Amino acid sequence: MKTLIVNPQKCLGCMQCMFACATAHSQSKMPFQASLEKPLPRSRIHIGAGQMNEGFPNRCRHCDPAPCLLACLTGAIYRDHDTGSVLIDPEKCINCASCAMACPFGAIRFFTYHSAFGNKTIAMKCDNCMDRRAQDKIPACAQACKTGALTFETLESASKRKTNAIARTISPQGQELSDCQLSDEMNLYNAYKQQLSALC
Amino acid sequence: MKYIIIGNGIAGVHAAESIRHIDTSGTIQMISDETTSPYSRPMISHVLAGFTDSQKIHIRPPNFYAQLNIEPLFGKRITQIDIPKKQIHLDANTLDYDRLLIASGADPRPINAEGQDLQNIFFMRTVAQVLQIKKALLKTKRALVLGGGLVGFKAAYGLMHRGIPVTMIIGSQYPLSMQVDPTAGHLILESLRKKGLDVRVGLSVTSFEGKQTVQGAFLSDGTHLSCDLVIIGKGVLPSKAFISDNDIQTQSGILVDQHMTTNNPDIFAAGDVAQCYDIVRQSPWINAIWPEAVLQGRIAGANMTGKSLTHKGSLGRNVIRMFDLDILTAGLVNPPDNSSYIVISDHNARNRYYRKFVFNNNRLIGVVMVNHIEQGGLFLSLIVNQIPIQFPLKNFLTRTFHFGKMLKK
Repeated sequence: MKTLIVNPQKCLGCMQCMFACATAHSQSKMPFQASLEKPLPRSRIHIGAGQMNEGFPNRCRHCDPAPCLLACLTGAIYRDHDTGSVLIDPEKCINCASCAMACPFGAIRFFTYHSAFGNKTIAMKCDNCMDRRAQDKIPACAQACKTGALTFETLESASKRKTNAIARTISPQGQELSDCQLSDEMNLYNAYKQQLSALC
Repeated sequence: MKYIIIGNGIAGVHAAESIRHIDTSGTIQMISDETTSPYSRPMISHVLAGFTDSQKIHIRPPNFYAQLNIEPLFGKRITQIDIPKKQIHLDANTLDYDRLLIASGADPRPINAEGQDLQNIFFMRTVAQVLQIKKALLKTKRALVLGGGLVGFKAAYGLMHRGIPVTMIIGSQYPLSMQVDPTAGHLILESLRKKGLDVRVGLSVTSFEGKQTVQGAFLSDGTHLSCDLVIIGKGVLPSKAFISDNDIQTQSGILVDQHMTTNNPDIFAAGDVAQCYDIVRQSPWINAIWPEAVLQGRIAGANMTGKSLTHKGSLGRNVIRMFDLDILTAGLVNPPDNSSYIVISDHNARNRYYRKFVFNNNRLIGVVMVNHIEQGGLFLSLIVNQIPIQFPLKNFLTRTFHFGKMLKK
């Protein structure tokens, strides 16, 4: 199953994901209109500046077991069976912040949004873009991210890319490779292997 | 396997769920002296304030017991545990057990004052008590709250929200003295008074007076206060009257090891009644809070089936959002005057922002936050996991501190 993968080292701190997330959770779903809405739509992904001022994308990891779910006094935090996402029921949330006290990542914020029960301030965090997913769209933050810091893929696919990247670090330099003439048979064999891996 | 759980609170509930998750065939009996199905005890203050009603605070659905094949025994209190026979005595019945969990919770601590049996003097521990308070509130002109701890704080808030004039009498110099340090304490005291709460510090009640219902109280400084409703929040004591010290080791609570086991390998304890290793105090302590009860119940339940899960240790922690103030505390916030502790703090009075961090041996062991508490969980995680701090301590004080700042580049 595809999930949101974060590669913090690729984050530039451009914050387009924050903008996209807020827009995706607005009423109009349109950037300019969203900025005029009341309440102002807020992002559920938070880019912070690391120690060297590098960007760091921080979002809810939808943990299992989820400390916030266990800490919730009202049972407002629950898990969606189909996707495994940890979600917050706005009607039951009493804004007590027990979840924020439990979250080891500091991923929870408190604000109101357009369909929150009675416009009350409640705990808010990433909801895995459930609405977008229902329309076959990928999470807004992954859609917006240009560097690949946020991607929407299976864990296997992301791990494979990382494995490939590491494997390449032990290959000879690109320069050397283009200088060296491989035999026709070797070229055919490499082409065959590429076709095979494209099928997997 | 016969499992018996004494207690119907959140520790017992999580233990039962843990057991069922692992052992689908063993019998589980849950005994409780309350007659309602499991509810969220912290929410009774919301019932008092009128934000919700007693029917809406259940923490499990009505078919919870049936779904997990648990036999509930309501309205019963244990009289005795017969350890050699592995039996418990309940009123007229005797039940056998293979594994026993004592999650009997705690009861309000009584106070030393005459006239306590007058009507309209209440504790606030159960939903039944809050419903009684609500009935009495219809005629209340002035209320007295004893105690500036969590119960007193919430009681005062609820009463004020209902428009009832409240006087809070506390023994310490500021409210929440078990949770906060003097700076935060005075910030809180100031905020409460600004909101119209009459707080009297350094005092206690020596006696109540009235005909059948309470009409006034005499304080330790000799003054008299008229009141027609009293809520006492002077702490809780673990419910272990049914345990004989000869059989099960106790101190303030039932002593358990890191597997939530008592000195008897078939008997476990969890929740407000259990005294286990406290991570920052580094000694057995009772942290009678909801998230601890959850965690301890989960671990105890699993271990009752034969697993060997370890509890790192408990941690005192609280978050409270009332009177336009957000307060988050954890661990040791008032370290002894000892050079081995490092304390850093930032107090911005104009922005009503205060943070204090206590370190020992390069590890965070305590935190107090007033306002901007959203990311407090980060600090708790550092305390619980005892992470050595590898960045400048002053980074903690920035308003923009976040997870990314803790990672090494």
